[in-house]
Amino acid sequence: MIKTIAIVGSGTMGTGIAQAAALAHFDVLLNDASAEILKKAMERIKEELRKGVSRGQHTATEATEALSRIHPRKGFNDLGEADLVIEAAVEELDVKKEIFKKLDDIVAPAAILATNTSSLSVTAIASLTKTPESVVGMHFFNPATAMKLVEIVRGAQTSDETVKLASGVATKMRKTPVICRDTPGFIVNRIARPFYGEALRLLGDQVASVEEIDRIVRVEGGFKMGPFELMDLIGIDVNFAVTRSIFEQFFTEPRFRPHPIQRQMVEAGTLGRKTKQGFYTYK
Amino acid sequence: MVRTRLCILGESPLVEEYASLCLNKGFDVSFRFNAEGKKETNVKAPRGARKITRPLKAVDLALELTNIGTEAKQRNLIELDAILTARTPIISSSVTVSVSEQSSWLRHPQRLMGIGALPSLLEGGLIEFARSSVTDEGVLKSADQFAKQLGKESAHVQDSVGLVLPRILCMLVNEAYFALTENVALPDDIDTAMRLGTNYPLGPVEWAERLGVQQVQAVMMALHRTLGEDRYRVAPMLQRTAALAGFNVRVPSRNGLSK
Repeated sequence: MIKTIAIVGSGTMGTGIAQAAALAHFDVLLNDASAEILKKAMERIKEELRKGVSRGQHTATEATEALSRIHPRKGFNDLGEADLVIEAAVEELDVKKEIFKKLDDIVAPAAILATNTSSLSVTAIASLTKTPESVVGMHFFNPATAMKLVEIVRGAQTSDETVKLASGVATKMRKTPVICRDTPGFIVNRIARPFYGEALRLLGDQVASVEEIDRIVRVEGGFKMGPFELMDLIGIDVNFAVTRSIFEQFFTEPRFRPHPIQRQMVEAGTLGRKTKQGFYTYK
Repeated sequence: MVRTRLCILGESPLVEEYASLCLNKGFDVSFRFNAEGKKETNVKAPRGARKITRPLKAVDLALELTNIGTEAKQRNLIELDAILTARTPIISSSVTVSVSEQSSWLRHPQRLMGIGALPSLLEGGLIEFARSSVTDEGVLKSADQFAKQLGKESAHVQDSVGLVLPRILCMLVNEAYFALTENVALPDDIDTAMRLGTNYPLGPVEWAERLGVQQVQAVMMALHRTLGEDRYRVAPMLQRTAALAGFNVRVPSRNGLSK
């Protein structure tokens, strides 16, 4: 039975997950190495919970109770009582490995260790613990308070029981868990690749213009956004980095090959909406 | 009002989809299914359309809607080309054979226009067209007029197998079937993940069912043939599913997600 969830890393994802967990009546230990970041994280959660009340997502009482369930914990050693740890630190394998090595010594043997990685190998992260069968991926999507999907990633050594418990936590957080094997890009980041990659090929081969491809995909296909609008929203640099990572993890499988247009736009600094210039110009 | 006389040749279910929409929009429709395969004979004829054994000479526009059997497509086009007056436009599906390649079969290639026809895409609000370098300007206008009569926007793209939306959709479906081949996740979880994670209107396995796995396979094989890259090879699970498509199985076999 999972009652207490520790969240390691109090950035955007960490705070979003903490809030969703607290609203689902879990006790939350919110951790960050920096007291400053931790303080800001608590303020952000307070603000978000307040916004949620005005949007009618929960009552003021629920918000107050949720906030009272989140306990900031600066020290790593204060996470020992957690039944589940969700690591939401920076997306660097060495950093995550270090965290899991430490967690392994702190938490109870029965505790589950989860990583919120979107691109790294759950199996590699698990390999440094004494209990790789208790390590699982829990890939939340940004913003974690609103996005319903959680990819439950089964590493090569993850047990059925661990997968079941992690799925159960996601369901209790009113999310929709899907189970996938630990393979590059998991489900979403992998299967979405051709949506961008093939649109870039069509553009590069002069089959149609940016505007025409987006219009066709929206009006004919019923998609909310065309591939180029979506790339501008995500950020050309972010999209390029994800594509590249999956391409390399599949040992240069041609289906995932990035397109030179992406690299050139990154070189030019036209990264989409955030720089006011991408495939489209924004004011 | 003079009704546009339209002749539709091709395969199921594209013929029914186009025939019923065109009838609905007031066209005078005659049609013929490709003879091969017992499947086609079981198909219910669109009500109000005339079933023909030979294309009529007196039509204003002809549609050729074959994506899978290239030989049948070639026969249909040669037949239309011989019977229809040289000025009658022929709009032909060009998702598995380019308009240029189809033009090489005809005596009057200037009348030929490509269309991005795949099952269920008529539910959208736009029709894609492609021309060859010898297609008459007047035929472009006829194509736009046709789209307008059906209440659709039109888009003109380069003559390239798969055009735009069919190519992107088939690539999404193919990638999902690679993931199924590798037992990455179950079909329903893949659909759920893509709907919730990327806001797609349908999951890729649902798209496969709407488009037809054999149609998707035909588009992928055509892309692979014309572009010559491994990138476009058909996923093994898609091949197996397409081979068993007559049995209505979603994914023919899976091993479950346990190790």
